[in-house]
Order: sequence, then C-alpha cells, then structure tokens
Amino acid sequence: MNYQFLNAVMLTATIATTFSACKKDDPPTPVEQELITTLRLDVSGENGFSKSFSYKIENGFGGGLGGIIQIDTLRLAPELTYQVSARVLNEKENPVEDITTEVIAERDEHLFLYHSAPATGAGSITFSNGSTDGQSRPFNQTIIFSTGTSGTGTLTVHLIHAPSDKSGSTPGETGGETDVEAVFPVVIQ
Amino acid sequence: MQSLRLTLLETHDFSAVHPAVVYVEELKRAFETDEKGQVSIDSLCDGRYTIHVHGAGYNDKEETVNVLGETSVRIKVDYEEHHLNEVVVKEEHGRTLLQSKEQLDKQHLRAAAGKSLADMLQELTGVTMLSNGATLGKPVIHGMHSNRIVMLNNGVRQEDQQWGGEHAPNIDPFLANSVSVVKGAASVRYGTDAIGGVILVEPPQLSARPGWAGELNLAGFSNNRMGVGSFVAEHTFRNIPALAFRVHGTYKKGGTYRIPGYWVANTGTEERNYSATVAYRKLHYGGELFYSHFSTELGIYRGAHTGNQSDLKNAIDSPYPLVASDFSYEINRPRQEVKHDLIKAKLYADNRWGLWNLIYGYQRNFRQEYDVLRVENGKAQLNLTLQTHTLNVNLAHKSVGSIQGDVGVDAIFQDNRFRDGDRLFIPTYQSAGGALYLIERYARNKWVAEGGLRYDYRFYGVYNPEGNNQQNVYYEYHYNNFSGTLGFRYQPSFRWQWMITAGTAWRAPQANELFAAGLHHGAARIELGNKSLQPEQSYSINAEVKYSHDDKLSADLTVYSQAINNYIFLEPGPELLTIRGYFKTFQYKQSDAWLNGTDLSLHYQWFSHLHSTLKASAVLARDRARNDWLVLMPSDRIALSTRYSADLGKRWKQSFVELNGRYVFQQTRIPKNFDEIDYPRPPAAYFLLDASVGTSVFWGRQPFHLSLSVTNLLNEKYRDYLDAFRYFIDQPGRNIIFRVRVPFDFKNNN
Repeated sequence: MNYQFLNAVMLTATIATTFSACKKDDPPTPVEQELITTLRLDVSGENGFSKSFSYKIENGFGGGLGGIIQIDTLRLAPELTYQVSARVLNEKENPVEDITTEVIAERDEHLFLYHSAPATGAGSITFSNGSTDGQSRPFNQTIIFSTGTSGTGTLTVHLIHAPSDKSGSTPGETGGETDVEAVFPVVIQ
Repeated sequence: MQSLRLTLLETHDFSAVHPAVVYVEELKRAFETDEKGQVSIDSLCDGRYTIHVHGAGYNDKEETVNVLGETSVRIKVDYEEHHLNEVVVKEEHGRTLLQSKEQLDKQHLRAAAGKSLADMLQELTGVTMLSNGATLGKPVIHGMHSNRIVMLNNGVRQEDQQWGGEHAPNIDPFLANSVSVVKGAASVRYGTDAIGGVILVEPPQLSARPGWAGELNLAGFSNNRMGVGSFVAEHTFRNIPALAFRVHGTYKKGGTYRIPGYWVANTGTEERNYSATVAYRKLHYGGELFYSHFSTELGIYRGAHTGNQSDLKNAIDSPYPLVASDFSYEINRPRQEVKHDLIKAKLYADNRWGLWNLIYGYQRNFRQEYDVLRVENGKAQLNLTLQTHTLNVNLAHKSVGSIQGDVGVDAIFQDNRFRDGDRLFIPTYQSAGGALYLIERYARNKWVAEGGLRYDYRFYGVYNPEGNNQQNVYYEYHYNNFSGTLGFRYQPSFRWQWMITAGTAWRAPQANELFAAGLHHGAARIELGNKSLQPEQSYSINAEVKYSHDDKLSADLTVYSQAINNYIFLEPGPELLTIRGYFKTFQYKQSDAWLNGTDLSLHYQWFSHLHSTLKASAVLARDRARNDWLVLMPSDRIALSTRYSADLGKRWKQSFVELNGRYVFQQTRIPKNFDEIDYPRPPAAYFLLDASVGTSVFWGRQPFHLSLSVTNLLNEKYRDYLDAFRYFIDQPGRNIIFRVRVPFDFKNNN
C-alpha cells in the first residue's frame, strides 16, 4: 500500500477521534436579555402625597406563559398636579434591577409617551413639563400630571427605543421600537 | 473557422460520459468532457480527425470524425463492466435514483457569480426562494424548505442550523462546478428530512493532467456597490500524477442595498470563504481530504426589528421605510455572524465486491446573533454552536446479471449548544442516528427499474430550560422508520424519455419545532414548540416526460402529488399580554398536507443562433384535515428567456445578448383564516425583466469572459410573498452587474 494513502487514513482516524471526544459539562442556562418586567410610576403631590403604581408583567418571554401579572389602579385626587417619575425595573432579578439609570444614560435614544383616555374632562390626565434629553428633545422620564374632574379613564405609558421622530406623541408618530406598553386603569375621586 | 461539438453518452443508459478525456490525434491536444458529456473544440479546419476517448470506468474508444463547418457528433461509450465485469469508478454523489432532477452547470453558476446560492437556484423550474430581504435567501423546492430539504455539500450532508427561516445555507457557490436539485422526496439515498428534495453541490473533479489550472472571477454590483472576487487554482504533480490539490478563496463585500426610492438601513454584507483539497487517486483506490471555511457577516434591516404588534402594523401601513438611511458599508445591530467549517475525508477502493466509498465529515457551525440593545455591550445575544459528525460507507456493488446497485450505512452525531447567558432560542441537545440502505437498479433494453429501501434510527436528548428559574429538564426522543422508493424509466429512443417514481419519506420533528419559545421580532409573534409532535410521513408519486429533437426543441414536463401526514406547521393561538403589549402566539401543530404540482420547461431553437426557453411551475398545497390551503406556499410563476449568441470573429467568441422576463402571480390560494394569521394579504403579482450581454475575448489562446447584466431592468416596485421583509420594504431595485472570468490552463500537452 502506498505511503500517501496510509497517511490519509491516519489523518482521518486522528480527526475522527479528536472531534468525537465526549463532552460531559452541564448544559448552559439562558438569560432573558435586557428584560423589563415592570413600569412603576412614583407619584408625589401636595400634602406629602407619595405613592407608587406598578404595571408588572412577567409573561411571555423566556418561554413562560403563566408569569405574574400585577396592574395597579392609578388613584388620584381631582384637579391637582402631581410630580411623576417613571421607573423601569427587572423584578425577576434579586435584588431588583433598576433599569431607569440605563435608560437615563441612553436618553437620546429613548422616549416615554403618555396618553390619557379621555384626553380632557372627567377622569382625564393632562401632561406638562416633561424632562428632556441631551439634545433638548423630549424624554419625559419625569413629568407633571394634572388631573381632571372626578371620573374614570385609562393611562397608557410607552417606553420607545430608538424613535425616529421624538416630537411625535404616539408610537405611530415617533417610530422606533416599543420596549414597554403599560395600560393603567385610572380612578380620579 | 470550423468547430466541433462532441457529445459522449453511455451506450446503455444514455448518461453523460464525465469525467473523461478526449484526445484529438491531429491536434495533439486533450480536452475534458463537461457534466453533459460534451466537449467543444474551436479553431479547426475541415477534415478528418481521430478522436480517442478515455475515462475511468469506461472502455477506451477510438472514432474518426469528419468536420465540415459547424459539426456536432455523438459518440457512444460503454461502461467497462459490461464487458469486463469491472466496477464503474465514478465519483458522483448525485448518482440517483430515477428522480426528477435539474442542474445548474458551471456556465450558469459563473454567469450568476456573486449571487447567493438560493438566488441562483431560482433559475430552475419548481425552485423558489424564501428570503429576508435581498441578502439572505433559502432555496424552496416544490414549496418545501429548511427542515424538509437536504443539502449535500461535496458529498457531506450540510448541517448549518437550516431549521431557521433566517438562516441561509453556508455554502460558497464559487466552489461548485455544478449544483443539482433532486425534486421530490429522496430519502432513501440522502436520508430522512429529504421530503421536499435534495440540493447537491458538487466541486469540480481534480484533473488528471499534470500542471496548473484555475480561474479568477470578479464581479461588481451597482445596487449595493458590492464587489466579489474569487480565485481557484489546482495542480497535478508531474512526477506523482495521482496526487493533486486545489485551493480556493472568495471575498465579497457589499453595502446598503437600494429599493426603488430608498436605501435599506443596515443591510451590508461581508463574506470570506476559502478551501483546500488534496487528492490521491489511483485506478483502484484513492483518497481525498477537503477543508472549507465559510464566514459571513450580515446586517438585518433595522426596521424589521419591531417592538410589538402595533409597531409592526405601523411599519406595514407606512408608505415608506420607517428607518431612513444613506448608503453605508457599516454593519450594525441587528446583525448575524456565521462561521461554518467542514473537514471531509474520503477514501475509495474497489475489490471483487465492487467500489467502496467512505466519507467522513466534521462540521462546526457557529452562529452569532447581535440583537438591538439598550446599552451596547459588544456581545452577541445568541452564540449557537452546532457540531456534526457524519459517516457514510457505500458499496456500489458489481453487476449481478443486469442488476446494479448501492448498499450502505449512514451515521450522524450532533451536538447543539448555546452559551451561558444567551437568550433562549433553541435548547441544548445531542442527537445520534444510524441508517442502512439498499438501492438496486435493473436495466434491460429501453427499460430501467429501480427500487430502494432504507431504515433509519434517530435519537435526541434535549436539555430544555423551563419555568421561572430556567431549570434544565431532560427529554429523550427515539424515532425510527423505513423509507422506500420504486421507479421506472422507459426510453424508447434518444428523443423520448418517460419516468415514474413513487416513494415514501419521513422526518423527525426538529428541536425548534419541539421546544421553540421565543419572540420573532420580524413578525412580532411568539412561537411555541410542541413536545408531543410526531414524525412527518410522506408518500409521493412523480411522473416526468422528456422530449428532445436534436438542438431544435426540447421539453420537460413533471407532475407530482405528495401526501404528508402529520405535517408540522404553526397554528395561531390566543394573544398573549406582555410588558411590550399584546403578541400573537403561534404553536407548532400537525395536520395532513397534500401537495400537487407541475413543472414545465420548453427550449426552442429559432435558428442556430437564437434560442428561447420557457419555464413554468405551480404548486397546490392543501391541508387535507381542514380542507383548506396551506399558508406560505410559492405562487405560480412563468419565465421566458431568449438568447442570441454568435462568434463575432477570431478574437470575439461566444458573444451573446439575453433577455429574461419573469411573471410571478399573486398567491390567492390562502387559508380561510388568513387574516387571523397574517397581515397584509399576499402581495400583488409582479413582472421582472433582466437583460445581459457578454462575450469572450481571446488574447492569443487566453480567453477573458466578460458580461454585463441588469436585473430588475425596469426598477419595478414589488414585494414577494416568500420574503419575510414584505411587511416593511419592497424588493431591490435595478442592479447593474459586471463580471469577468479568466480561466487559465497550463496543462495542455505538457
């Protein structure tokens, strides 16, 4: 038999044994990337009013269908103004991971949007003095809520990543990607 | 000046005699036959020539030919074994099986140089493309793709995480000398999963003539300002004629591509591929070692990454791309980086039993996906490694009477894993499988009958992360089944060929179908696996008739019918509330499918320089259990091409002008619940026009093949139903492509 031929056989055998070496290590564990579970509104007002309202959903990602869902009702007094700070959290981590700091650091690429239904009158909230980003464009991580007369409604808060137009007031107008869509029931009384 | 075209066919089965050397005594020159068994010899004078034919596995033949003007001669060559009862030493992985088969030969592959493999294959009837924009495409055969087709790259079953709709085949078409598509189920020879068909990518044979040869290919694309260069060189040693090697390298870089009116943000591509082959070949034994590396980096259109259902709807309803862009070569998130390495070792030898072939392949597919992040961390969010070992031992046994055949074993071992801390996409699993097969062929007069049987066993061990803490839960699956095939071919004359094939095939559910649990940003939907899926089982019948009247007219008509029981598909489920809003959920379910279709191609020569080709295909895909249409099936299409070619003189040869038109119908065969599953409805019909001109310039005996092509000549705005980006953007606009091919051959008569 020929020398080259033998060589080829040897090489094949070597490769086969090298690569078939069995691995016994533990299978890896996945991590949901940049997970947000919760949008929390820290609301403070006159007479020392200070409350937090959470919109928390663990559903949907990382394969879980039956995650925790907790949606607080926003209960505020009529015709008052409140200082609001929106926080985004990952409550699956222990201790809880506060993602707000990251979002603030990347505020040129992020935008909070607030939408009240109804827009005015009973059960409504109007918005003013939203905070701005590094280029003086809207960012709205902190904002002022002014409540309407007594009634019920809903408040929708969006966190938009990489909006193409920060002057828009709905995700359709701003473009970009929705990182959070939180819909709070509102009771003003 | 005169020319001679020789066509070498085997006497008994009319197969092309390839590879073989044709030596012309008067010229003292040797030529090699191509895949069609053809040799074209230019620059002859009228007169008598003595032709010697020599090919491994064939009897030597000597024939005298009279050349007068443009001459075509057919030479019949016998298999060696019919006289000497020796074995045919034919290195051909695509040695089927009576089955409907179409091929892109080297000429066609190089004419499309720089395109993706899937894009090239669209030229074949019955083959379409599943895509994610212009840069990422997968071949679809008779409506089947991904898990339902098998690709054989240089004789090794390609395992490159082909289950993903956004995972294009990791194969460099520049390495191929021919790409064949076996249409319809072909499990017996190529293994389970080949329910829809098989794609065979074949590199060229290393030449037996000593010396250097090779080729340089260059192409420039205007649309995305892409440049492609590929080089291949081979050498056969003069002192050791059995020893030969080949090296090849390809580099490709493209930027943002353009649709009519807009640039498409973040769609740059870059590809680096190289390979080396060493072969030692004697008449009765030999071996080959092959290594190839494929690496690609490609950007995914930024606007196809959406946050939730309403973002998707906004993007769909927008009359323009939501993410604006200028031209750039930069590739940002979201992007993919994929590396595929293949080592192949092959040994062959013949003895009194027949010809033995052993092919071992090791593949490592490493896929990294870089998602859009809030905070850049320089890391990929998905790092999937799939390692595959395959082994095939095949004996092409000696004829027993008129029966000739193959018997063999296949083995596969796979290990798939992600990195700790990746996002969940597909679980860690190991898989092992083994198979035994037997294919026998009986030829008598004008008839060939073929039957095959195969038994497969497949095992999966899966570590699936579950629950709140993503604990790994272990699952085991064992599958086994038989597949079979039976075919007949009747060839009453050179002109007519009738063929009918029936076969069964099956495939085990893949890890993504069993365990998927993830969000698809491009479709804003959550896909859920189903751990209780059963294997798919296919029963098919395929009939083909071919007619050819010399060079004047040829026709090929195929009709097929295929029932697939336990057909796995995604069924819409309830909407799911997440922190990003509501999402549609889809779960893998099973039903019974029934596919019927037809492929037609017609070739007509108006006069010796002008040819036309008409191709048409249609597939009707039904869900039998629900009595409804199946979703995401290619629509009907028809293509017409006309080519004028002529030699313009001594220096300008094989000059041509070609015009191609393609009409793709709107897909109207959609399920009743389509609006629940998908939005919007399948895009409108479209017509595309491509044109090209080319010539071969000779500088002495050195040819330079030049061509200029324009695709989407009319800069048509259109979308395709099988393009995942149909929600967001149009298909690419006009593209002007310049190609140069410079073959070199220092082997002649040395």
